[in-house]
Amino acid sequence: MVSVDPTEHEIAELGPKIKDVEDLDELEEMLELEEGGEDRDPVKTLIEGRIEKLSADDEEPDPSEADLTELTVADIANLVRGIEDVDVLEDILERERDGKERKSAISQIENRIEDLTQDDDGEAAEVEYVPPEEKYPELDHPTSEKRWVEGTVDGDYRDMWVYCETQQGELIDASKEILGKASELMAGYNEEYDEDEAVVAVLIGEDVSELAEEAVAYGADRVVYQEDERLERFRHKPYTEIFCSMCRDSDFEWRDYHEPRYTVFPATNNGRDLSALVQAELDSGLASDCSDLYIDSATISNPAKTGTPGDNKVFERVLHMPRPDFSGFEYSTILCIDKPHRDFHPQGASVIPGTFDLPDPDPEREGEIVEHELELSEEWFHVEVTDYDQLEGGVDLTGNEVVVALGRGIGEDPTKGMELGLELADAFEEADLGLSRGVITASYQFDGHVEDYVAEERQIGESGQVVEPDLYIAAGISGAVQHKVGMDESDTIVAINTDPDADIRGFSDYYIEGDLFEVLPRLTEALKEGEFSRAVAEVSDD
Amino acid sequence: MTDDYEHFEAVVVGAGPGGAAAAATLAEAGVETLVLERGVDAGSKNVSGGLIYAEESAPYTIDSIFDGFREEAAERPISEYYIHNLAGEKVKTFDLSDIHHHDTEWCDAVLRRQMDSWLAERVHEKCRDTGGGLLTEVRVNGLLREEGEIVGVTCDEIDPITADVIIAADGVNSELARDAGLMDWEEPDEWFQGVKAVVDMDPGAVNDRFGVESDDGVAHLFSGDLFQGVRGGGFLYTNEDSLSIGTVFHLDSLTEEEAEPHELLDSLLTHPLLDQWLDGEYHEREYSAKLVPDSKKAANPSPHQGRLLLVGDAAGQMQAQGPIIKGMNHAVTAGGLAAEAFAEAKSRGNPDSAGDLYEKKLVDEGVMAKLRPQRYRMTRTLSESDLVTKVAGGVLDSAVGRAGVKLFDGAIERAFNSPFLLGMIPDTRTSYVTVPRVVGEVLGERIDAENTIEPPELDDRIGDLTYDVGDPHIELVDNSFAASGAAVAACPVSAKDFGGGCYREETVKTNGSEEKVVSLDTQPCVECGTCAVVADTEWEHPAGGKGVEFKDG
Ligand SMILES: Cc1cc2nc3c(=O)[nH]c(=O)nc-3n(C[C@H](O)[C@H](O)[C@H](O)COP(=O)(O)OP(=O)(O)OC[C@H]3O[C@@H](n4cnc5c(N)ncnc54)[C@H](O)[C@@H]3O)c2cc1C
Ligand SMILES: Cc1cc2nc3c(=O)[nH]c(=O)nc-3n(C[C@H](O)[C@H](O)[C@H](O)COP(=O)(O)OP(=O)(O)OC[C@H]3O[C@@H](n4cnc5c(N)ncnc54)[C@H](O)[C@@H]3O)c2cc1C
Ligand code: SF4
Repeated sequence: MVSVDPTEHEIAELGPKIKDVEDLDELEEMLELEEGGEDRDPVKTLIEGRIEKLSADDEEPDPSEADLTELTVADIANLVRGIEDVDVLEDILERERDGKERKSAISQIENRIEDLTQDDDGEAAEVEYVPPEEKYPELDHPTSEKRWVEGTVDGDYRDMWVYCETQQGELIDASKEILGKASELMAGYNEEYDEDEAVVAVLIGEDVSELAEEAVAYGADRVVYQEDERLERFRHKPYTEIFCSMCRDSDFEWRDYHEPRYTVFPATNNGRDLSALVQAELDSGLASDCSDLYIDSATISNPAKTGTPGDNKVFERVLHMPRPDFSGFEYSTILCIDKPHRDFHPQGASVIPGTFDLPDPDPEREGEIVEHELELSEEWFHVEVTDYDQLEGGVDLTGNEVVVALGRGIGEDPTKGMELGLELADAFEEADLGLSRGVITASYQFDGHVEDYVAEERQIGESGQVVEPDLYIAAGISGAVQHKVGMDESDTIVAINTDPDADIRGFSDYYIEGDLFEVLPRLTEALKEGEFSRAVAEVSDD
Repeated sequence: MTDDYEHFEAVVVGAGPGGAAAAATLAEAGVETLVLERGVDAGSKNVSGGLIYAEESAPYTIDSIFDGFREEAAERPISEYYIHNLAGEKVKTFDLSDIHHHDTEWCDAVLRRQMDSWLAERVHEKCRDTGGGLLTEVRVNGLLREEGEIVGVTCDEIDPITADVIIAADGVNSELARDAGLMDWEEPDEWFQGVKAVVDMDPGAVNDRFGVESDDGVAHLFSGDLFQGVRGGGFLYTNEDSLSIGTVFHLDSLTEEEAEPHELLDSLLTHPLLDQWLDGEYHEREYSAKLVPDSKKAANPSPHQGRLLLVGDAAGQMQAQGPIIKGMNHAVTAGGLAAEAFAEAKSRGNPDSAGDLYEKKLVDEGVMAKLRPQRYRMTRTLSESDLVTKVAGGVLDSAVGRAGVKLFDGAIERAFNSPFLLGMIPDTRTSYVTVPRVVGEVLGERIDAENTIEPPELDDRIGDLTYDVGDPHIELVDNSFAASGAAVAACPVSAKDFGGGCYREETVKTNGSEEKVVSLDTQPCVECGTCAVVADTEWEHPAGGKGVEFKDG
């Protein structure tokens, strides 16, 4: 008798039902019923699949006799998971050691034995500490030689150190964002743990002392800087040496600890480079490209960290460092936690630029600024920068008193329109030319002398620049909302348009109904004669 | 070399109904499945009119794969179905409920953002159990080949991925189908263009104005002389607290008439007949558009190549059964069958036979017969010729023809309700425009209403959409008006004398001679696919997460 007659069910219902059938004979019978009845291919596949699976289960090798050399590591892992008898496991372990001696297989078996023995005695023994040099004598492990490995056991750690990258003599936004966040995090930290730890900004470069005040304004409590003309461009060797020397070797009075508690770097090209080197030099880990940071406690059961299998231990003051995995598929939160006999400090992260909001600087903020003077070895500079290129800075329209903007109204004669716009801009003391996107993406043919002006760097609007000049003159622009958001904060807006229903009229102070090819030259003339306002007022239709 | 890449048993490209059905069915069969979707969220790129059918004869329906679909992901069930034949101010309404209910287990209105993102959550869960999952904001940009054989996919955002089977459920304008040479984007007569507005309406108002209960809904179709002679029609479906109102036109007819899709939509929205439902109020939540394949011409009878299987719109499996549009349900069926074919082929130790098996299943399960009805192929050459159209149109308009229409009033309604006859309807003016118009004129009653609503202007429609603008994804290869000018009108977000659209007509003067050209700005693009067919372009989808984001769809 079968419990499920496949011919009485839809395919979709059968899937789960068939999965519950454990009896091979019953399945065979079901298969026959289906063949004799509706004979649906997918149903047969389902049943056959189940039969295959069950018979495969039946064929599982007897662990005490299985030929380990025939099994993959994964097979062995599956095999040992089902074994409860420690003796059988010991036997398998021995055979694997005599046989293929696969490390991962051996550790699988050992782990299983450990699990079982631990359950047996109830209480588990503390993991015995063997220094890495002894545990892995065959490894010529670089950490064994490092001065600081043993030095940072049960060390003292304080403060959050932030690497402030600069470009062209300015703090980059990512540095400011991180300073803002760091100051917020440490304020919360100090309150929570009743501490008085600081945000320490690190500035390295040429003439960086000029930026120290700014770093304070953005959230640093202390600024440590080192400047030297050889540090004009980022070079990872001297920068790493300086950073580590500042935070580990310096003898500032306030730095009464071994290493920083936390370090944060911007995940820029240079920041990524530096963060990896610094964290390795300080013998800790790094969570790169993080998309958030917060400080919290964490409950950990991993015996490698707690020292005692089966125990949960609460770690305090842990920097939680979430980062996207697998192209944003999932997020992992990275924790950098000390283990017995070895500390993992500083807890270090690099943060994707733009992750945190750009804070408003607070010029009233106070902080201590100190210079660090490490002697720079010539050897660190043996890589010579022979040439470099600056990516095009583009046109910055934001600082102008006046912006003359042209739109598709120039379509009749685009070159002429550009000339007229440029002439008007030239007649002002501080003015530049802006464009609507409609012009930039057009097929207009411009003559050589104006062609260079037609570029996205002059676009005003949602996907271009946002400007707020005293005077914005929009000629031949309809006033699409995407353009509007780039200019409607301007003090005075003058629109020139042939269409009295153009949207721009609604948010202009002066609207001149007319052909820009006539109106622009008249404005230029009036301006030269010093009568611009009157000219606008006279011709304005609003 | 390809050994270094991440490998999955199955990669499904696209998380519309076709991809969701395929992925869920694969995962159910224990196949390790990765789904890649380019939108910020599944559904953020997708548009449909909105009626999803569960056909009695279909081997898979959306709710057989996804429990709770109707309660959680759909809007109102649609129990009534009418078509209105319009002629000027006159209308003759037929009740098409028979054909609507024919072979129909149920039919619900849906909004795609909500529907697809609901499906995606379930798909992700199911696939995760197999070691895979669903990734959004990843655009697949081509097929990965090794020694000429398809072995995987390449993406804009992540490293190439290899797989034993690749299910392309990437919708209309499938880049994978094109890459494999299985579909082309050449002939306008293989496509429809659908344009839609989602209109806000309080649930109580929907109930009152349409005379339905809160858990019930209705569909109204429109044809006749309100669309400037363009072949196609309009629809209105009731959602929970909104209406989906739109139009679907043959793309070749649209370009021939140089009609503006947004204006045609507006002529429907402002038609006096709609006043009874809109009641002078109109708030448009979203404007959207998408190409729709016409399976009668576009469905590929052998939609696979090597490890690549196409399902849904990617394979042209979109059936226009007279006024009834069935794309989502067939995508679901095809997705299920493709998955089943792979699972079966794999269990027989021959995964490479999945394609052939899939093709066979499409035939055995009767899907192909629905998509490419024999009757249509036989009558097409004759009835679509211009001469026959003219003669038929002439006859219908003549006194004799009109008398016939009068005599056969009931018979016409019955004819509309026959799936057999609908499968035969030729794509001519006669069926789309002349018959409905004459029916309306001869049999219709006057509509005594004034529709005062004002639909938004095109620039406001564009302004209301959400864009994350990336690099231009469409390149104009030939900007002469002769090659690409048709897009100025046909692009649903462009128009003649409108500077804010994607395609704009311009005059270039060089040395005294004047030339008409078009320019393109892809920022307002809603990725409908029209210009891939009607203009000379290199057309791709934007990178993952970029481009337009529909909130309703
Ligand atoms: C106006 C209109 C009205 C319609 N009305 C109806 C109707 O009432 N009933 C009906 O059944 N059908 C209707 N349709 C048709 C229906 O929408 C389609 O047939 C259906 O959506 C096809 O499903 P699909 O899964 O094949 O593709 P889609 O739903 O289009 O899904 C494709 C998915 O693939 C993704 N994708 C595409 N390319 C890539 C890539 N390169 N990389 C990663 N992801 C990618 C897309 O973002 C999308 O999520 C209508 C269509 C329109 C436009
Ligand atoms: C996502 C997105 C982002 C966008 N980002 C931007 C952006 O950052 N910046 C931007 O500008 N646009 C942007 N746009 C495009 C925007 O929507 C408009 O298309 C664009 O601003 C139109 O440019 P225009 O006003 O020059 O052209 P049109 O809209 O064509 O207007 C031309 C105007 O000129 C007038 N005119 C014609 N002849 C004359 C004449 N002889 N004298 C005087 N007036 C005349 C006409 O009456 C008309 O009002 C974006 C669009 C989208 C969808
Ligand atoms: S540019 Fe092309 S794809 Fe984009 S909306 Fe217009 S016609 Fe559609």
